[in-house]
Order: sequence, then structure tokens, then C-alpha cells
Amino acid sequence: MSTVSSLPLQLGSDVNTLLYMASLGFFVVYGLYATRIQVYFALNDIGRGLTKLKVMKDKARKEAIEYLQNVGKSVGDPTQRVDQFLDYVTIMPVDMDPQGLVGKVDHVVTTSNDRVRAEVGALITQNSPVTVSISENLLEVATSLNQIHKVVRHYYLLGKKTNSYFTLVQLQMLMPMIIQEADALLNAVDSFKVGQPVGDGVGPVVVSRLMVGKEKRVVAKDTVMATTEYKGRKLHVLKAEGPMAYVGQPGVAIKKIIDEMGVKPSAIIMIDAALKLEGEKTGEIAEGVGAAIGGIGVEKFQIEEEATKNKIPLYAILVKQSILEAITVMRKEIAEASDKVVQVLNRVIEEKTKEGDDVLVAGIGNTLGVAQ
Amino acid sequence: MMSSVPATDKKSKLLVYTIEECPACGQKNKRAFQVGDYITKEAGKCAKCGNTMRISLVYAEPAAKNQVSTTSAPPS
Repeated sequence: MSTVSSLPLQLGSDVNTLLYMASLGFFVVYGLYATRIQVYFALNDIGRGLTKLKVMKDKARKEAIEYLQNVGKSVGDPTQRVDQFLDYVTIMPVDMDPQGLVGKVDHVVTTSNDRVRAEVGALITQNSPVTVSISENLLEVATSLNQIHKVVRHYYLLGKKTNSYFTLVQLQMLMPMIIQEADALLNAVDSFKVGQPVGDGVGPVVVSRLMVGKEKRVVAKDTVMATTEYKGRKLHVLKAEGPMAYVGQPGVAIKKIIDEMGVKPSAIIMIDAALKLEGEKTGEIAEGVGAAIGGIGVEKFQIEEEATKNKIPLYAILVKQSILEAITVMRKEIAEASDKVVQVLNRVIEEKTKEGDDVLVAGIGNTLGVAQ
Repeated sequence: MMSSVPATDKKSKLLVYTIEECPACGQKNKRAFQVGDYITKEAGKCAKCGNTMRISLVYAEPAAKNQVSTTSAPPS
């Protein structure tokens, strides 16, 4: 009788013991295989991102081919040439001896750009400057997406092959930013195809207003300037030549205006788009000093060197925007900021220069859809 | 474990507009963007003074808030 009455208690005790043993077993297994479990999840996660990147790069490639065929009226099927183009590489010069490095980088990049333009020009029959420049930009987007996909795939496969937890976790953490950037690039295709101004073109938009109706001259590759007046000051304004999707060579242009044309400006004012930090509003205007220009640094170096050599102060007016807004069709907030930038520009000219002075104003950025 | 790959963005549809402006009287005309439009391109005649208008801006804004083509008075 006593054995029967104690049975439920005995049974309960066994279940508890089993649960206890199972939980102990779980902790032991998790302790031993935690990284393998996390590697499994990381691989799944990166794999999904990689599929997304593949879809994006295939779409960009397809769009570029279609543009070359339909708008550029390419000779034959450009697919094979485009595929070769996607793997086109620009080898940067050695930097062990940094003296003269900027000149070497400039030379390599200029050679690369010239070659791309020549090849695109030869590929299409409808070779108006706008179509050629848009084709160049579309191929650049497709190349960038192809490169991003390749690099991510490389680390994914390397991590998988070597079961490297740290390689995979680092890649997994970077994936949201990589996807965001790739998404921005893909979105840029839609704007480029139809020649719509992009957010990065806000500097050229402001400068184009000062150039309308004035005589223009080419001062550097893809770069034009004009001369106008504001309250007794002579303004030398420059931008890349639109409405093509060019960024021009503002560094070379500024050097030429000062050294060869003999202009001695009291100030160089640069207007450019700037990447906003999270939390900042699109279209906000920031003022500052220094050369407001992005890129790999060649143009910035040239402008800083010229300004320093001639003791010319550099002023910057920046319009804040995200990377997505900078390379896709210009948002209303950015377009409307251009009116405010004109007011800021006028105030800076009045405050920092006096009547009779020469002032150099440069609108920096991609000038697609912005003529002069 | 939560996915670190963002889901497909729910992007708000953007409509692209071209703003034509009369350099003489400041009259503005807002219309849908057409392929071939670019800033500073000459547009039609100004409805107010008959001068040739120019495209002053091309920009995008969310679809819901706007009409496709509107005409607005110049800013005072």
C-alpha cells in the first residue's frame, strides 16, 4: 500500500530528473556546438543577401544592355562586350613611395575613363554625348554591383569552406549596409536611363542659374565656365558640362583659370552635395571651409594645392542628403534647397569679398539633366 | 536569430515633375517630367506675359500628395 501511494511522487521525481538531465545535455551540446549553430544561421542569412545581390546585379546588367540596344542602337548584340566590361579593372599605382602618387592615380583614372568612353562610343551608333554619358554611367553601376556581388560571394564561400565563424559573422553584420548601398545603385539606373537630375547635381543646379545666357567656354575635360557679375564682383563660375552625366575636372579647371588665364580670385566657393548623418534632414544646408568635393581625392588635392599656393581661402556650401538620394532622382527638398543655397552664396560673397574682387564659384557633382 | 538582411523596402512611389519658370515675370508651371527635359532647356510660352519659359527644376516627390499637373503663381 505504501509503495502504491508513493508512486505518483516517484514518477514526478523521474520526470524532473529527466528534464534536468535534458537541460544539462542541451547546455553541454550548445557549449560544444554554439559556433557551428551560429555559423549555420549566418550562412543562411548571408545566402539570402547574396541571392538579393545576384538579382540586383543581373537587373543592372540587363538594363545596361537594353539601353545600349534600344537607345544607343548598338551594332549587333552588345551582351558579350558588356560582360567583358563588367570585369574591367583599373589597377591603382603602387603607394610604397607616395611622392607623386596623386599624379599617377590621376593618370590611371583618366586613362580608364577615356578608354571606357571610347569603347562605349564604338559600341553604339546613336552616339550623342548624352547617350554616351548615360551608357557609361549605366555600365559603371552594373560593374559596381557585379563587383559587390563577387566580393560578398568570395567571403561567403571562403567562410563556408573554412568554417570560419569570425569571417561569416563579420560579413553577416555588414550585409545590411552592403544591401542598402547596392539598392541605391540599382535605383540610380531608373534616373540615369531617362536623364533625370540626381541629388548629387544640386551644386551644378545652383551654378547653372548663374550661367544661363552667358558665354560659355570649355576649361577642362567635360568642364565649362562662364563669367558673370554680382554686386561689383566678377564671378567666374564653373561646372561639368550638362546635360550629360559628367562630373568634369574641376581641379584642372581651377588650376587653369588661376595659372593660365591669370584670374586672381579672392575666394573659391564650392557647392556640393554631402552625405548626411542619420537623424539629419535631407536638404539641410551646411557652411564651412575647405574643398567640398568627393571622389578618390585627385581633384580635391589639386584644388587644395592651388588654393594653398596662391593663399586663396576655400569656402564650402553643402546640401545634406543620403547616398540613395545622391544618386537617384533629385528629391523636392534638395531641389528647393538650391534657392536657399543661392542666398547663402550671395551672403558669403558679400561677407568674404569686396567690390572689384574676382570670385571663383564651382558647382560640384554629376550634372546629368542640368545644362548651363 | 534575427535576420540581418533587410526585407524588401516598401518604397513610396515617387512622381517626377518639371518646373518651368518665366525669366521675365517669374510665373511657374509644374508638369509631369518628360524624357528629354533638362534644367535650363527652353519650354513653352508664358501664359502670363508671352515670354519663353525655361525649365528651372526637375524633382521627385511622393505620389499621394500631388496632382500630375498644376500651375502656381510666382512666389511673392
